[in-house]
Amino acid sequence: MNISAWFPRWLHVSPLSVAGLLIVCFFTCVGNSIAVEESVLTRIGQATNPYDTTAVESVQPLLQETVVAKEKDQRGAFRVLARKKFIERYPCSSCHNGKPVLARNGEALTHGTVIIRHGMEGNGLTCIDCHHQDERNYLENKKGEKIDFDHSYLLCGQCHFRQKRDWLGGAHGKRVTYWAGERVVYNCTTCHNPHAPRFEKRFPATYSPPAE
Amino acid sequence: MIKPKKDDEAAELEISPSAHNSRRNFLKGLSIAAAACSASLVTGCLPDVKAESGEKFALQWKEYFKKHYRLMTQQEKEETVARLERLAKLQSGLDLQISTRAPRENVLYGYAFNITRCEGFMECVAACVKENNLDRKTKTQYIRVFEMKPGQLDPSTGDGKYFHEVPVDNKFYMATQCFHCENAPCTKACPTKATWREPDGIVVVDYDWCIGCRYCQAACPYFGRRFNWGKPSIPKEEVNRKQHYLGNRIRPMGKMEKCTFCIQRTREGKLPACVEACPTGSRVFGNLLDPDSEIRFVLKNKKVFRMKEDLGTDPKFWYFID
Repeated sequence: MNISAWFPRWLHVSPLSVAGLLIVCFFTCVGNSIAVEESVLTRIGQATNPYDTTAVESVQPLLQETVVAKEKDQRGAFRVLARKKFIERYPCSSCHNGKPVLARNGEALTHGTVIIRHGMEGNGLTCIDCHHQDERNYLENKKGEKIDFDHSYLLCGQCHFRQKRDWLGGAHGKRVTYWAGERVVYNCTTCHNPHAPRFEKRFPATYSPPAE
Repeated sequence: MIKPKKDDEAAELEISPSAHNSRRNFLKGLSIAAAACSASLVTGCLPDVKAESGEKFALQWKEYFKKHYRLMTQQEKEETVARLERLAKLQSGLDLQISTRAPRENVLYGYAFNITRCEGFMECVAACVKENNLDRKTKTQYIRVFEMKPGQLDPSTGDGKYFHEVPVDNKFYMATQCFHCENAPCTKACPTKATWREPDGIVVVDYDWCIGCRYCQAACPYFGRRFNWGKPSIPKEEVNRKQHYLGNRIRPMGKMEKCTFCIQRTREGKLPACVEACPTGSRVFGNLLDPDSEIRFVLKNKKVFRMKEDLGTDPKFWYFID
């Protein structure tokens, strides 16, 4: 049977060219459906060159006081928010200096307001679990090393090592104001009250009306 | 600058078939009158044309004929921004700074949300409303926080209207907003191409090109878009004056709006307002193309998922658990 008989004479096309056209059409269609925009995951996977965040020129110096951390993150050195300025009666040695005090100042001088709600799933923590027993201007880790109040993450990370690992990487805690520029992160004690680290229950800042 | 045109306006309106009653003169007069009428109609100021200052009218007239944002040259962008700033000054006495900062090279913004850490304090919502000049009257909010039971992972079944002390024991909190999909259905639904994805991944709206048909709202599977049913009402002292043309500038009535990852902040290197306001550190923001960024650490080391990933919208917003 002659296939060319299927096509009207006036078309002047050969069956071969029609078949060719169909093949071309098929490949363009398939090609298009494959070449949908690449997934964002592919793009992320291909991005392996570090981005120089310090080159972002619009980053302004922070108003808060910061210190260089004694740990390294994936980029290297980073900074944390300083803490000592916010401790009400720092330096502690202004009272803890071995000098006698009057009994009537006792209420003001003792830490009656500090309620420890930390580690309550075990036996609970006491002051000297974290504070240095002799040098009151410092904290003390379990190896007996002095730790500065600005670097409390060195202390907290002993037990909360998972949180510390996440904090170093950026999955716990947060950066200060900028995603670009030199990395400055919140210290543990910027957010958490070390004596009662769990956030207290409170009412939300606002509410949502019913959805449309 | 165009000089005030009060007199011209009046003169044009009075044009009528004059002494020479020829067909040509009549048509000429008619066309000029029609142009003047349409000018008044489109700017919506026919009744108080005389009361308005000529400068304001001229600015509004020019604004009406500006191009789509993506077709503007840098000079045209600066001109329209200057006009908008001047108009805001004339209309409400506000000194705005409207930016047209372009996307940065090698930056693709991404977001991660920790559903273990979020405690539902909604500081993010409050900060977003303030930062983005959202309408206070209808309580428009880009972010919605849902209170969820363990095991629930679809926010549409959660409680988005809670108002009690949080966190409630044995509940978790999950917030939604625009996910800035790489393959965004809303941008495809728009008949005027008024919404698109910028090279740094942010899906934006050109408010002056939007016709308010709300097709994009219907196309979005995440309820990420909001519509201005009225003119946004914001107390004058609360207006955020640092604005971006595609971001938090005050929207006209009848326009679509949405989260822009705080484009006015992020393109300056800052974190979005919700990230900065979060008291629990549940929100992580950063450059997806930077292997050392926080967001990349989350994607690499945490258990992450995206909402309705099977739809193929490819959102750049991940949820993760500790």
